Amino acid sequence: MRSPIRIVFEQRSETPKYLSALVPLLSVVAALVVGALFLLATGYSPVETYSNMLSDGFTSSRGITDTLGLSTVLICTGISAAFAFQMNLYNIGGEGQLYLGMIAGAWAGLALGDRLPSYLMVPAVLFVGALAGALWILLPAFVRSRMGTSEIVTTLLLTYIAASLVKHFVYSPGSFFVTKNSAFPQGRLVPDSASLTGINGTSLYPTFFLVILIALALFWIVKRTEYGYRIQVISDSPRAAHYAGINANRTTLSVMLISGALSGLGGAVLIVGPFGRLDPGIILLGYGYAGIVIAALARNNFSAIIVSGILFAGLRSGGDKLQISTDTPIHIGVMLQGAILLFALGGEAFRRYHVHAVRTERAAQ
Amino acid sequence: MTNTSHEVAKGPHHASDAAPSALSAHSIVKRFPGVLANDSVDFDVLPGEVHTLLGENGAGKSTLAAMLCGLYQPDSGHISRNGERITLSSPRAGLHHGIAMVHQHFRLVERFTVAENVILGSRDLSYKLNRSELEDKVAAVAESYGLPIEPGATVGDLSVGQRQRVEIVKALYQGAEILLLDEPTAVLVPAEVEKLFENVHAMTQAGKSIVFISHKLGEVVEISDRVTVLRNGRVTGHVSGRGAADTKELARLMVGRDIELTTQRASHATGHEVLQIRDLSLSLNGVSVLSDISFNVHAGEMVGIAGVAGNGQRELADTIAGLMSPSSGSVAISGSMTTDRGPIHARELGLAYVPEDRLGMGLVPSMSILDNLLLTRDRHIVVDRTSVRPEATRLIEQFEIKANGPDHVARKLSGGNAQKVLLARELSGGRSATKLLVVCSPTRGLDVGAIETVRALLDDARSAGQAILLISEDLDEVMSLSDRILVLYRGSIVHETPGATAQLSTVGAAMAGLTTEGNS
Amino acid sequence: MNSNIWVLASADSVAIATTLILAALGALFTERAGVLNLGIEGILLTSAITSFLTADASGSIWLGLIVGSLVGALLASIHALLSVVLRANQIVAGLALVIFGTGLANFLGKPAEGKTVSTIIRPLSFGPLSDIPLIGPVVFQQDIITYASIVIAILSSLYLFRSRPGLELRATGDDPATVDAQGLSVASIRIRYTLFGGLLVGLGGSWLMLAQSAAWHQAATTNGVGWIALALVVFAGWRPMRLIFGAILFGFTLQLPFTLQAEQITFIPSALMQMLPYLATLIALIALSRPSTRNKLGAPKSLGIPFVRDER
Repeated sequence: MRSPIRIVFEQRSETPKYLSALVPLLSVVAALVVGALFLLATGYSPVETYSNMLSDGFTSSRGITDTLGLSTVLICTGISAAFAFQMNLYNIGGEGQLYLGMIAGAWAGLALGDRLPSYLMVPAVLFVGALAGALWILLPAFVRSRMGTSEIVTTLLLTYIAASLVKHFVYSPGSFFVTKNSAFPQGRLVPDSASLTGINGTSLYPTFFLVILIALALFWIVKRTEYGYRIQVISDSPRAAHYAGINANRTTLSVMLISGALSGLGGAVLIVGPFGRLDPGIILLGYGYAGIVIAALARNNFSAIIVSGILFAGLRSGGDKLQISTDTPIHIGVMLQGAILLFALGGEAFRRYHVHAVRTERAAQ
Repeated sequence: MTNTSHEVAKGPHHASDAAPSALSAHSIVKRFPGVLANDSVDFDVLPGEVHTLLGENGAGKSTLAAMLCGLYQPDSGHISRNGERITLSSPRAGLHHGIAMVHQHFRLVERFTVAENVILGSRDLSYKLNRSELEDKVAAVAESYGLPIEPGATVGDLSVGQRQRVEIVKALYQGAEILLLDEPTAVLVPAEVEKLFENVHAMTQAGKSIVFISHKLGEVVEISDRVTVLRNGRVTGHVSGRGAADTKELARLMVGRDIELTTQRASHATGHEVLQIRDLSLSLNGVSVLSDISFNVHAGEMVGIAGVAGNGQRELADTIAGLMSPSSGSVAISGSMTTDRGPIHARELGLAYVPEDRLGMGLVPSMSILDNLLLTRDRHIVVDRTSVRPEATRLIEQFEIKANGPDHVARKLSGGNAQKVLLARELSGGRSATKLLVVCSPTRGLDVGAIETVRALLDDARSAGQAILLISEDLDEVMSLSDRILVLYRGSIVHETPGATAQLSTVGAAMAGLTTEGNS
Repeated sequence: MNSNIWVLASADSVAIATTLILAALGALFTERAGVLNLGIEGILLTSAITSFLTADASGSIWLGLIVGSLVGALLASIHALLSVVLRANQIVAGLALVIFGTGLANFLGKPAEGKTVSTIIRPLSFGPLSDIPLIGPVVFQQDIITYASIVIAILSSLYLFRSRPGLELRATGDDPATVDAQGLSVASIRIRYTLFGGLLVGLGGSWLMLAQSAAWHQAATTNGVGWIALALVVFAGWRPMRLIFGAILFGFTLQLPFTLQAEQITFIPSALMQMLPYLATLIALIALSRPSTRNKLGAPKSLGIPFVRDER
């Protein structure tokens, strides 16, 4: 008689440090393997696809600046997601807040025109973009903190609404955002005073360093300040927060607004940087959704997000170009993102628990 | 249809040698990470008998019971039913052998009706459910054992005693021959305990076996045919014969040494009024929770609030602590009103509050001891941990907290040590020196050693002139510690008596809402 | 104004409701067991494209529906593995499934871009009944899956509230510890209903493709219907019968932009008109969360919380 095998999860009292790094790395590898299977099944060469993707992203100096350039917006959406996630607030509408940041950033650039010098104009665009991102999450944040309405579906629904707004501003006749009398609808470029130039002519913009600075500042705020302390108390135990006289509603509201602002900033970064205009193509890129994956992979740690953001940008910048360089569909990149996250979540179990199989003794009755 | 086996109609056989044990455990060993919960334990129960497992918290009695009903599996040793060796791989297997457990925390779906709860998980249920037919069937089973229940009522609306009855009916409905009752009296008022004991007798008369799990000596002596005492996972003694057991002897077997839990009541000359409550009423969602409560607590005085869980104790404590706003009336600490001004204001006036829920309300589980000490204190915009660290180390030493240091995470502390951290923080003063201490169920779930320490700490605080409001469902604790006892029943104070002359029977009757009646 | 258009609009509302009913029922069964699967949108998309490719290659719509449904269950099994067996964060797991499903569907759909299915699921005809004004098109000109979805919803209601397994399912979502104490396996119940839920969502996605869209255009094929379905479950208070009416209501807002466009009512720009279903869902969700209504809704109490037997 065979004895049945039972899988036992034993809570680890101490998580080995190496596992915290190993799990995300293995997740990436496992996802690449799954991706390879799909590529093989559909008749593409995994080796060729991946080498195109990676060599583009990480080896050539051009590739590296492309990667860092792209990572700017991804780190933005990553810290946006993480800032809310760490308090168990699931703002999954970063994508929509990013659109709004782009719309508002483009508006600020176009409306203020050449009236302001560049050193005022660029911060103004970034600020207005962040503000718009915060405004876009205001309703979900308000009803969440006041009535407890789950923010998950509300923030997501607003992404679809934001996408319609982007389309409206680009495709409706006579829109403020588009070039007049153009053969096909296209966003108007913001004036030079509202845009930065890439460092040494590359696609890496100074905003990259601003975003790194913000990520590090958030890291410090969460670990060292009263605000961070409150966030920790509320996320772990709302009742303890109530007991200690910490106003959870106000903190919830502010955390969500900051999260929205960070995604909005991501949209504005695209205006002063590579895009320079309101471009409906943003809807297909999914930078906001990628932020969720980046945050989860870094387990909401702000300094780790810098690393996972750059890693993802490497995969993406290659992936975005695959369309042109090979015949591989662009979507393999999105699929890989999802697979990486799925594996990382599964791996989390092995980080938290000591998992082992045991044979259970079963006496004959 | 519900009694699958009819072999047991033999009537009670008290400890007769010939009858095979209905259920027996042989050399049971069960290990949890870091703990040897059961160390070679033997136990058996005869048909028609009440056999008690006695032991303090953590002695291993619930673990043994869990294995007897199939919830856990022993690491070694085996279990027999009517002399035949059986394996209980799950609670379902336990039920199959006629063994059912009535848990301390009821396993009932609150949104379901009584009947739905009783039939949930039954094996002989048809696919299609006919509501009224099932309700009749459940009522019939209940009545046959003299356990009146209303099958159509929603469980969420029932009292604790009624819920317990539903649990028992459920076990009987499923054909249980052996019932394991885990601390069944912990949540009951004295009158409900009487009723439960009557039901237990009715069941043993019908040939059922009862395994009674408890740490309360008095009731154990009253109900048991036999007693097995556990300590630190080992059997330390057996006593048989109803009423034969000697309370002192049982206590020694249970604790391992002679112990005197009754603290001397200091008859301090009490000082000025620290806490003043006037005509306090509170309604939540239109339901009155507290009504017209007025009392004072003086410096150097300990006032005990007795009552069955859910009669407004938690709300009273929360209102004093500034966590809830009363609908009418007022709370004042040291002469200053705290009403509607929040917990921080109350603390600035000298309040310290040890809530019933330690891990989750009093302490943040994922935070270190150090960070938890900061919870009720004044923190700067940039949290200054370095200057608090020496104090944290000192408190850990002073309160004899078993931890690796100030960075030890609260979640990983034992119940007793978590309570000590909480007391350390609240007694050491935060925003101002502690003048008023509100403590809820301070010793619940602690082992005897920790109970002694905690009670000594409360005693010291009283001697130091702090006013203490002790809110506890443990009547013995309130009786032995308080200078004055107030009984809370349905949100009102229905009885007041000095601690020194308090009668168990009168206080117990008041807790049950029988204010005028007091029986011997 | 052409009144005929509005009759068609009503008929379309009922038709579009089919996907909503099936997807929301799938979510409902999953959530009643205490598992929150936010991955509905990803499952819908993947089922849609696999049913399309199968129907296209085999020429059989029915085979397409079966494969699409099974793919739905397969994706749901990933969620079951992560959230039930490995106790992962169910919210993030669901999102991962959306991202993975969207990428996978678009990857698989690349060769099918813009192609149409050769045969689609056709509406049934009930002879003279179908010709009754108003009632005919709305009630008697739907296809078999639409009728089936309503029958499934009714059967689901009976199953949930009048059967033994339904009782166990509801108990699992509300109080898994109690179910565990009865010796029933919480994990097995949760896995089963997560898979069954995925199957229903998959059927909804396949139908959307083969009857409604008939051509693959990437994520626009579902366009957020999965998220609306999740909101619909809340709207219906986790009760299948209420879900039917909610689905028709939401179905109406989903087809309204197209009807208005066909009517050439253009005082609202069409891009803004597209917002309508999401806006309506958003408002419904917020209106429902007033404390007075929320208590009556009856969300399963253990929704989204992994069950761990309390072993010291």
